[in-house]
Amino acid sequence: MKYMILLYGSQQDYDALTGKAVPGKPAWGPEDFAAMGAFMAEFSKDVAESGELVETRGLTAPVHARRIRLADGTQVVTDGPYAETQEVLAGYWVVDCESFDRATQIAGRLASCPGPAGAAAGAVIDVRPVAESRDELEL
Amino acid sequence: MLEPGAEDLLRRLAPQVLGAVVRRYGHFDTAEDAVQEALLAAAVQWPRDGIPADPRGWLITVASRRLTDLLRSEQARQRREDTVARRVLPELQVAPALDAAGRAAADDTLILLFLCCHPALSPASQIALTLRAVGGLTTAEIARAFLVPEATMTRRISRAKQGIRASGVPFSMPAASERAERLATVLHVLYLIFNEGYASTSGPDLQRAELAAEAIRLARLLHRLQPDDGEVTGLLALMLLTDARRAARSGPYGELVPMADQDRGRWDAAAIAEGVALIIGALPHGPTGPYQLQAAIAAVHDEAPSAKATDWPQIMGLYELLLQISDNPVVALNHAVAVAMVAGPQAGLDLLAGLESDERIAGDHRLHAVRGHLLEAAGDRAAARDCYQAAARRALSLPQQRYLQARAGRLADG
Repeated sequence: MKYMILLYGSQQDYDALTGKAVPGKPAWGPEDFAAMGAFMAEFSKDVAESGELVETRGLTAPVHARRIRLADGTQVVTDGPYAETQEVLAGYWVVDCESFDRATQIAGRLASCPGPAGAAAGAVIDVRPVAESRDELEL
Repeated sequence: MLEPGAEDLLRRLAPQVLGAVVRRYGHFDTAEDAVQEALLAAAVQWPRDGIPADPRGWLITVASRRLTDLLRSEQARQRREDTVARRVLPELQVAPALDAAGRAAADDTLILLFLCCHPALSPASQIALTLRAVGGLTTAEIARAFLVPEATMTRRISRAKQGIRASGVPFSMPAASERAERLATVLHVLYLIFNEGYASTSGPDLQRAELAAEAIRLARLLHRLQPDDGEVTGLLALMLLTDARRAARSGPYGELVPMADQDRGRWDAAAIAEGVALIIGALPHGPTGPYQLQAAIAAVHDEAPSAKATDWPQIMGLYELLLQISDNPVVALNHAVAVAMVAGPQAGLDLLAGLESDERIAGDHRLHAVRGHLLEAAGDRAAARDCYQAAARRALSLPQQRYLQARAGRLADG
């Protein structure tokens, strides 16, 4: 069964990651960033080795996002449509595992990602079943 | 009404459907309700519209849809009350399940049995939840079987489910290190269900055959899942060999007939043959556990043409083995009976004296009843009568009370 593990972050979080001072967010030093990178690599490697990883990607900062909308019959593109503090998708893993509980257990490990004190405050991770068929979308 | 075949199908599919839904969406407690509703929907719709081509898929779809509805209203209520459901994830290990390859074959029914018999639950809760989630019985049926109001059983089941939720156990096989212990709990729960059906501890009916039949059905299921476990085989054999005597065990007025006086022609020969074959197949393999020994004892009884012609020395020997592995006063009591049959009533009475200080059984009607029988056999009618009366006062079921009073009455003029 496939599940998607979604990790969120705001533009402010991305800024803090680069070491920039952000009000209310601890700054990340190079060693913090390296530790997080090592943790994420290790995490993804473990899930890959257990045969449960389908795919994982990280997304670039929300400032690079484009939103497309239909307005009065024409397609309108907005660059960087999010507020600085809005939490948006920052990365995901698709896992194929035996149960929702197992997927939750895998995602739970992300909570122990290292970082400067307070960096994880307010961070959330979602786990969602990936529909296996059209029928499942109708449930 | 569903035809019996369709009802069997529903009961067999119930744990598979629940397993599939819980695996996919979690929420064991709510999913269990959703599956019950799907089973009820099937009981209404299938007789009318016919059994669907894929009954399992039908039930999973209906249960999943119902789960969606239940979760939505649950979550809406929680938001209103501002009590978002929170739970702490159990100890995190992302280390892969080592049996990753065999995982697909892991049977959901077995996982459900382990889950329902979780050690965090009381035996009463384990029994109720097992009957509902694995047996597919409704709360009303379970309440009737246990002679309690439906509301009581509803509370018991919802407490059990809260216990599971609070324990945070994931829907997966217990770790290999604890599997043997957990399996022992499952066997004990099935044994309790059987006993409740066979030897009703309270109320007017000597046996509630449906409960015993359900225990046998679940034991068969477990035996199919764990065919190489000697104790699983032993428990199934024990149930079959005991239940084989059911028809002869009560007289025309529902009165209890002791084994010595039973019409052995009314014993179920097919059940005896099956039980004997199972236990013969299991005994040579691995360590001999208490269920296998009890089944072996039952087999010796079932194969004897009469009480007198029973191989009592073998029964005595089997009870001695059983005593070595289980410190159980009821086993000691039965051992004393076997000794009396081999070496005379006084030898049995001597052993009973040692049990009187055991407070687990000192107040039990069975101790007094056995002493009554042995005193009667030894010719001490007055003392025997007192014992029967003492036993009758302590017996919980009416048939047992009547039987014991009758034994006492027979000795009244002595």
